[in-house]
Amino acid sequence: MSADSVRMAVDSQRCIGGGQCEMLEPEVFLVDDDEAVSSVIGSGVLPRARADVVVHRCPGAAVSIVGPES
Amino acid sequence: MSPTAAPAPPLAPEIADPRLYLDGIPHERFAQIRAMPGLGWHAYGDNGFWAVTRHADVREVSRNPAVFSSSIGHTNLWDLEADALEARRSLIDTDAPDHTRLRRMVAGAFTPKNIRRWTDTVREITVELLDEFEARGGGDWVELVAAPLPIRVILAMLGVPVADADYLVELSNYLVEGTGDTQSIPPDAFGNTTELRLLPFNSPASHALFEYGEDIRAKRRAEPRDDLVTHLVRAEADGGRISRHEYRHLFHLLVFAGNETTRTAISHGAMALAANRDQWQRVLDDRALVESATEEVIRWATPILHMRRTAASDCELAGTPIAAGDKVVMWYASANRDEAAFADPFRFDAGRADGEHFAFGGGGPHLCLGAFLARLEVSVLLEEMAARRLVLEQLGEPVRAASNFVHGVLSVDMAPAAGSSGGPR
Ligand code: HEM
Ligand code: SF4
Repeated sequence: MSADSVRMAVDSQRCIGGGQCEMLEPEVFLVDDDEAVSSVIGSGVLPRARADVVVHRCPGAAVSIVGPES
Repeated sequence: MSPTAAPAPPLAPEIADPRLYLDGIPHERFAQIRAMPGLGWHAYGDNGFWAVTRHADVREVSRNPAVFSSSIGHTNLWDLEADALEARRSLIDTDAPDHTRLRRMVAGAFTPKNIRRWTDTVREITVELLDEFEARGGGDWVELVAAPLPIRVILAMLGVPVADADYLVELSNYLVEGTGDTQSIPPDAFGNTTELRLLPFNSPASHALFEYGEDIRAKRRAEPRDDLVTHLVRAEADGGRISRHEYRHLFHLLVFAGNETTRTAISHGAMALAANRDQWQRVLDDRALVESATEEVIRWATPILHMRRTAASDCELAGTPIAAGDKVVMWYASANRDEAAFADPFRFDAGRADGEHFAFGGGGPHLCLGAFLARLEVSVLLEEMAARRLVLEQLGEPVRAASNFVHGVLSVDMAPAAGSSGGPR
């Protein structure tokens, strides 16, 4: 993506499976309906500003930014 | 109460007396508390609580469950004896890891993606109720629309016969009474023999709801279906991922939480649309506003006024020292009118785009499980009202619940306005 893109991660222990992340960024997060837990899919990369929104909105404090894109 | 050695904390004005709420939320008092430095201390029972009233502070409490616990004390401001707390414990009064396990048991059904699948069901029910409302030329909006819509939807999800909707609405009404000072039914109503203090909301109606849940459980065990109860029954059978107690309380919570709250949103929403016709006109002129209008209705209504946490350790919030064991009460009713988060917070603005409201909680792990379902119900209702260009006129004052916990409306008469769909020409 761009210089300002970051890599995302989900802490499956903390995730409560409500799917806010998937609603906001369906290309990057996928919630498994049976286990009700989210994981990172695809490139796992988001522009910084959008990454911050997901981190802010995740009720389980399970989404984090693990570092720059590469 | 903690601060014995420290100087006495500033006292918050009275906000806990349920009778204060008979005329609506005491907003001036909350504004006074928001303006206080730090948190206000509020005497209550034999100790008291910290009144958390600012938007930013509510978020802070919600998002720090390790410090602000849901399992140590009750999540309402009144206290419970230890055995009552155990007997009444549900998803709402747990912390991780129990909370995470229980929540995931049902979370899959309530994700935005899976909730969207219920759109047609919600629409069918909504159209039927609006047709009836118009055919009668109006009436009690709570009885005709606001109460039946959410209960029928959650019953469809749970897989419970729609014929029982009225009975479950009746039980919910009794449960709401239990959050105030009055109970209109005797302790042994519905064949209850359990001490009331051991039942959610001190209400014999809880006994009836548990029994009802047990009955459905037995039916789904014998004959599984594709519904939420079957899903829970499987989890119970499957190596005890959920206990019998947990099932009973989850069923109770799903019925009550999914019904009283959304009903309240729809009741206050109708009152707001009737009182602010210019805002409804905006939605009629531009359907793209349904989404923001839905959020505004829910912010405006703030159906749950507070939730409580209990400090697990000594800590500090907004500069106020809090001792382990202190009650910390988040007043969503106040956060949703916080000038620091919303421009002109007392204005009903169908196109509002500023703040993130906290009607569903302040964004922590207990964030309302049914938030996307409630949003779907309110938005489909607005869409269908707009499609038939129904304009509401409120007739007289609402009857409000005397409760510091729910922003309940017991009844409010509405009619299609003159010239509107279903109204006099
Ligand atoms: C406009 C409608 C609704 C409002 C305003 C509302 C509000 C709330 C609030 C304030 C909480 C507590 C949040 C916290 O402690 O952080 C909550 C929790 C909850 N709500 Fe809702 N609710 C609504 C609709 C629903 C619906 C439709 C359901 C359907 C099942 C539901 C089920 C629940 C459950 C199960 C919890 C407990 C979650 C937990 O502790 O993890 N609610 N709701
Ligand atoms: S928003 Fe957070 S808690 Fe919710 S599903 Fe995504 S990672 Fe899990």
